[in-house]
Amino acid sequence: MAGHAPSTPRQRRKAVKKPTANVIVSVDQHLSKADALVRTPTFPLSAFLWPARGSVSQWEILPLILMVAGLFRWAAGFWGYSGLGNPPMFGDYEAQRHWMEVTTQLPVSQWYFHDLLWWGLDYPPMTAYHSWLCGKLGSLINPEWFALYTSRGSDDANLKIFMRATVIVSEYLIYVPAAVIFVRRYSRLSGVSTWSAWVALVAILMQPATILIDHVHFQYNTVMLGFVLASMSSMVAGRYYWASVFFVAALGFKQMALYYAFSVFAFLLGNCVFPRINATRFVGIAAVTVVSFAVLLLPIVLGTLYDVSHGVDPRPDLDGPRPPLPLFPELGKYVDSEAIYYPVIEQLLQMVHRVFPFARGLFEDKVANFWCAANLVVKLKQYPSELLQRGAALMTLASIIPPNLILFFRPRKTLLPLAFATTAWGFFLFSYQVHEKSVLLPLMPMTLLLAGKHGLAKDTRAWVGFANLLGCWTMFPLLSRVELRVPYTVLTLLWTYLLGLPPTSLSAYFQEGSSLWTQWGTFFVHAGFYLAMALWHVLEATVKPPEDKPDLWVVANVGIGAAGFMICYLWCLWRLAVEGEVIPKSWTRKAKPKTQ
Amino acid sequence: MSETYPTLAQCAIVAGAFKILLFPAYKSTDFEVHRNWLAITHSLPLWEWYYEKTSEWTLDYPPFFAYFEWILSQVAKLADPAMLRIYNLEYDSWQTVYFQRFTVILTELVLVYALQMYVDSSRGASKRAAQAAAISILLSPGLLIIDHIHFQYNGCMYGILIASLVLARQKSTLLASGLLFAALLCMKHIYLYLAPAYFVFLLRTYCLSPKSVFRIRFLNCVKLGGGVAAIFATAFGPFALKGQIPQIMSRLFPFARGLCHAYWAPNIWAMYSFVDRVLIALAPRVGLPLRAEALQSVTRGLVGDTSFAVLPDVTPRTCFALTLLFQAIPLFKLFASPTWDNFVGAVTLCGYASFLFGWHVHEKAVLLVIVPFSLVALRDRRYLSAFRPLAVAGHVSLFPLLFTPAEFPLKTVYTVFWLVLFLVAFDRLAPASGRPRFFLFDRFSTLYIAVSIPLVLYCSLVHGLVFGKSYEFLPLMFTSSYSAVGVVGSWVGFLVVYFTS
Repeated sequence: MAGHAPSTPRQRRKAVKKPTANVIVSVDQHLSKADALVRTPTFPLSAFLWPARGSVSQWEILPLILMVAGLFRWAAGFWGYSGLGNPPMFGDYEAQRHWMEVTTQLPVSQWYFHDLLWWGLDYPPMTAYHSWLCGKLGSLINPEWFALYTSRGSDDANLKIFMRATVIVSEYLIYVPAAVIFVRRYSRLSGVSTWSAWVALVAILMQPATILIDHVHFQYNTVMLGFVLASMSSMVAGRYYWASVFFVAALGFKQMALYYAFSVFAFLLGNCVFPRINATRFVGIAAVTVVSFAVLLLPIVLGTLYDVSHGVDPRPDLDGPRPPLPLFPELGKYVDSEAIYYPVIEQLLQMVHRVFPFARGLFEDKVANFWCAANLVVKLKQYPSELLQRGAALMTLASIIPPNLILFFRPRKTLLPLAFATTAWGFFLFSYQVHEKSVLLPLMPMTLLLAGKHGLAKDTRAWVGFANLLGCWTMFPLLSRVELRVPYTVLTLLWTYLLGLPPTSLSAYFQEGSSLWTQWGTFFVHAGFYLAMALWHVLEATVKPPEDKPDLWVVANVGIGAAGFMICYLWCLWRLAVEGEVIPKSWTRKAKPKTQ
Repeated sequence: MSETYPTLAQCAIVAGAFKILLFPAYKSTDFEVHRNWLAITHSLPLWEWYYEKTSEWTLDYPPFFAYFEWILSQVAKLADPAMLRIYNLEYDSWQTVYFQRFTVILTELVLVYALQMYVDSSRGASKRAAQAAAISILLSPGLLIIDHIHFQYNGCMYGILIASLVLARQKSTLLASGLLFAALLCMKHIYLYLAPAYFVFLLRTYCLSPKSVFRIRFLNCVKLGGGVAAIFATAFGPFALKGQIPQIMSRLFPFARGLCHAYWAPNIWAMYSFVDRVLIALAPRVGLPLRAEALQSVTRGLVGDTSFAVLPDVTPRTCFALTLLFQAIPLFKLFASPTWDNFVGAVTLCGYASFLFGWHVHEKAVLLVIVPFSLVALRDRRYLSAFRPLAVAGHVSLFPLLFTPAEFPLKTVYTVFWLVLFLVAFDRLAPASGRPRFFLFDRFSTLYIAVSIPLVLYCSLVHGLVFGKSYEFLPLMFTSSYSAVGVVGSWVGFLVVYFTS
């Protein structure tokens, strides 16, 4: 089919942008046989890339895709950020700006100690280094943006532009290349045509949740997610040492990457054990990981030692005797407080203490996970927090052990996105101290499914879309607090439109070839949730909650969201089990689904 | 299987989403201008519209546009009645911004519809090319910058223009085409620049017999003349009854303004001033006399009333004569062979002539050339090679309209995106021409396009770093001189193509 001469009438109609000059069309690399048979695009995004089905070079299409993705990000950035004009504490934007202030203006040893009540640094060191770099660059433009104390709560318009630019530049240096490379490697591995991979890439880059949180609300999640993607991409390429380096970088940027840690571990270990035990690889991975962590911490350690030698106190605000060591005060009995390594230990413990806030409650605010939803039924506050913590740990373990066992025993590269998604869903739903923005973590690998085998088929598209829309919807209370309804509406509706999902289209349902039960089951479950979400939006906008229950709408959001995410977790787990071939074939009555 | 992808509607939806995201972007004084017109038309009786001058942004568009604003104001009072008060100057509550921005997007649907008409009117192999051209107009960075950021309603009015051009494609709808154009003239008088081509084309194809120039079709003349008269009567009649026509005319044609607009549209006069400025440096050595009062304005850089230090001054009369002259040249050919392609070519050349030689031309008027040209740019490769420098120059010349840092990445990345996408696509879609191409013209146009990159970098970044706030006119002068070279080059190229095809 694909090898036919391009001049046959049928071919001419398909290759939309037919080169006129003496260029030979070679469709074979771009389109698989199944793709080439499709005459009309099934959803708008594929229509937009329809002209690229001919022999369009990647050097033409990739820049265009990246420019469009960048334009939408920059335009979304015109809207307000979290905490804009909302004193006294402002929001995430101020936190990030403040860290640039702290890291550029203070000695290294004070970074994790400085005025902790005003957005004290509570992310791992890579974030601190990143803030330092951004702060240094920004100070070249305008030193007042990051002046100590006086810059707090700044709402300078140019500062906003600079901050937005740092998010985009960081994303285009890390997340975007990682996504491009991952999609290319993974789609080749799954036998998906280049053209379908472009479609998937656009869908992944236009994912509304990440744009809304990073470029509108303001955070740097894509840096962490980008390192994770790079790590996954290295796994797909079989470069396990690089995979560990990138994963350490992700952890070093944002501790939330721990959601994936079990899967990384299971996959790497599985590859050291199956098909035969490979001890060198295991030792190598372990060594690389240790060295990466050492390199990650080195600047902090060296900075602390430098400060000590110059007589800089990490806590100049404290008078009197030396305070006990953070986190584990009893450790002080064994460590000589005059020893040269004492400040280093103190510094690292303080960092861990800041990064992992064990002292906080089971959940913060209202977040659509199991605990917050369960709290609606049973008041969890009545139980001792230790019991709750133990319960959370057990539930989390129970939810993540099955997917990771599958990944360990079947360490296949094709299973990576599913296993990562399932594990992250488990963490999101059951773990301790979850934030609503954490939903980005399960969403990222789940969206990657679009680049896999049958990724653009109705079934996968419907589920990936469902999870993403539900994710955005549970973040709506967060966004509406800063009046970001317009970008929320535009970006989510645009994405659903592009992928042919509800509420703009029902075309992603009733996959031919799967059983009637699956088709209707999927349809009813999704339709129920979509209707509930729509109804919720209508009620939230028109009806005031009763006086005694001011949080009614948020609570409803949390309940519905948690139920939906639970279903997403189960779906991912089921798909993982099916594709990992742990379930006997006879159980799955599903016939082979056709491509879209 | 006549459908090609993506469809216009799909592009319109995605572009619409992007434009909504741009609501909080920079908006120029034109936003306040239009708010003021909403207020005037809503709160004053008809006969005070053209006399009201509380705001300095008085109503200076023809009556149909005023009626259009009146209709919008009926909805505006539901959004925020405060924007409709005349004394509420510079009022921009978020409701006002959302409302006004949204009306721009909504009225642009006229353009989408007209472009769809254009695609549907193309037959056979050229259909795919027509689709690409239509999408290029819909996504034009010019419209994005001028309408959706800077703020104006060009999308709607160019939609009417395209609809009228498309109607002229068929014998049966010639009358409708003429009437629609008359209505457009009553919305925005800038389209008067294109009127000569319409006049000649309709005269030849509608009012005279196709077989002989000397056989007049009287019935058609009456229909067209009567129709146009009726439209003008609807627009101006109510004001004429009150004897307000002179007042309206003084508002519509303010000849008191200078030759070059503050930003220097990239036309002959920009090159003329550039040469003048170069001559100031050379004049003492060659012994040419300098006019002292002109040097004053040279140092100020941005001037409303340009006066030249070395070269002779230019009068409106000169501009007018030159414009008419260069408009007339292509019209002879149109009269001799009144095909639709020649008609659109003549409209384009009328646009060129008025843009290049007109008095007080605004750089936004470059759309007057780009939009009709896009409709024929894909006829063959010779057309395309004339179009290419125009596409670059025309859009780069719009950059100074947006000078705020937040919009800088937007305008540049969007324009680069558009140029890469459509120059590549057009290159594949334009059929080869039967005639030889000009010697080296393509090489020069590639070189020309390449120069735009350092130019934009210099104007937006390097200049600020090197000179700071001083010599502010330099980047503007470079941009407009550079763009002027491109526009003039493409004009000459297109003239040759027009007369040789």
